Amino acid sequence: MRYVGVAAVWAYRFTLRPFLGVGQCKYHPSCSQYAIDAYKEFGLFKGTLLAGWRLLRCNPWSRGGVDYARDQKVFR
Amino acid sequence: MIVASILTPLEDLLRHVLNALHSVGLPWAWAIVGLTIIVRMLLVPLTVKQIHSMQNMQAHAPQMKEIQRKYKGDRTKLNEELMKFYKENNINPAASCLPLLAQLPIFIGLFYTLRAFAKNPPGGQAAIDRGDFSWLHFVPDITKHANSHWSGYILLAIYVLSQVASTYFMSGTMQKSQRYLRMILPFVFIPFIVRFPTGLVLYWMTTNLWTVGQGLITRRLIPKVGAPTAATPSGPKRSSRTPPKEAQAAVAEAPDEEPAAAKPSNGPPRRVKRKKKARR
Repeated sequence: MRYVGVAAVWAYRFTLRPFLGVGQCKYHPSCSQYAIDAYKEFGLFKGTLLAGWRLLRCNPWSRGGVDYARDQKVFR
Repeated sequence: MIVASILTPLEDLLRHVLNALHSVGLPWAWAIVGLTIIVRMLLVPLTVKQIHSMQNMQAHAPQMKEIQRKYKGDRTKLNEELMKFYKENNINPAASCLPLLAQLPIFIGLFYTLRAFAKNPPGGQAAIDRGDFSWLHFVPDITKHANSHWSGYILLAIYVLSQVASTYFMSGTMQKSQRYLRMILPFVFIPFIVRFPTGLVLYWMTTNLWTVGQGLITRRLIPKVGAPTAATPSGPKRSSRTPPKEAQAAVAEAPDEEPAAAKPSNGPPRRVKRKKKARR
């Protein structure tokens, strides 16, 4: 089930990303890589929430920085 | 289906703005251009923030170069170290995913809006015959696919050129391979875009040209910090030329000082400084 999420991220990478012109994410790893990691580690539901939360954090008013999916603090 | 239902309010909004622009007196094609410009103007505050962070980044360029040199082989480690460096120096990297993703619904929404347009143009066939959907007298119908008329190919060419140019201007800190990929991609996408409504190409073209214009203004606003460092290898050769320039600048800054006195005190030490930077 969780690989549905991973596949969705890859589909995004190949189709939509070029249109957006995403150069660099302010976080490391990038948002899409974070999503893949999150899906692999936490499954489809939690992974989607984590990836969504990461995307919301990846805005011009946040700090950015090193942020791995495995270090998340949402689900404890 | 789910995506479409989520986008319906946005589509309605876009349609309303389009209709409003048209009712003010703009032809449909110009209404699309106007809509694009409105969207981009709303994004200007973000751009200003980006300019600030770009200035900040360029001020720290030498240290960042050092980090890049240190972790040349290991991309992951390099990124991690760079992120740490950003944090330590209060640098906020320009790129972030959310504003970029925010453009996606607008693009898709506009796609649906214009597709609905093509299927059911307001005013029907009579309006098409009247030329309500023409643009600048050379695009006969913006609701038709881009490859239905030779003018579509001209728009496509402008789209590709503007895409390449916008990549060129907006890719200050981007890796070279990424930059090339993004310059090649518009060519790869031509076969798909050819089947888009011409109005959509018009939107994409406008937004890219806006980006290019923004890039040009940004370049003016940001002093090139990296350039003098790169020029140092030719420093000794140009030494006969550079001091007068610097002396002139010194005169302009402090007219009280005598140029003869400013020359020897100003010229040589600066060069030494730059050399140090280059060696780092």
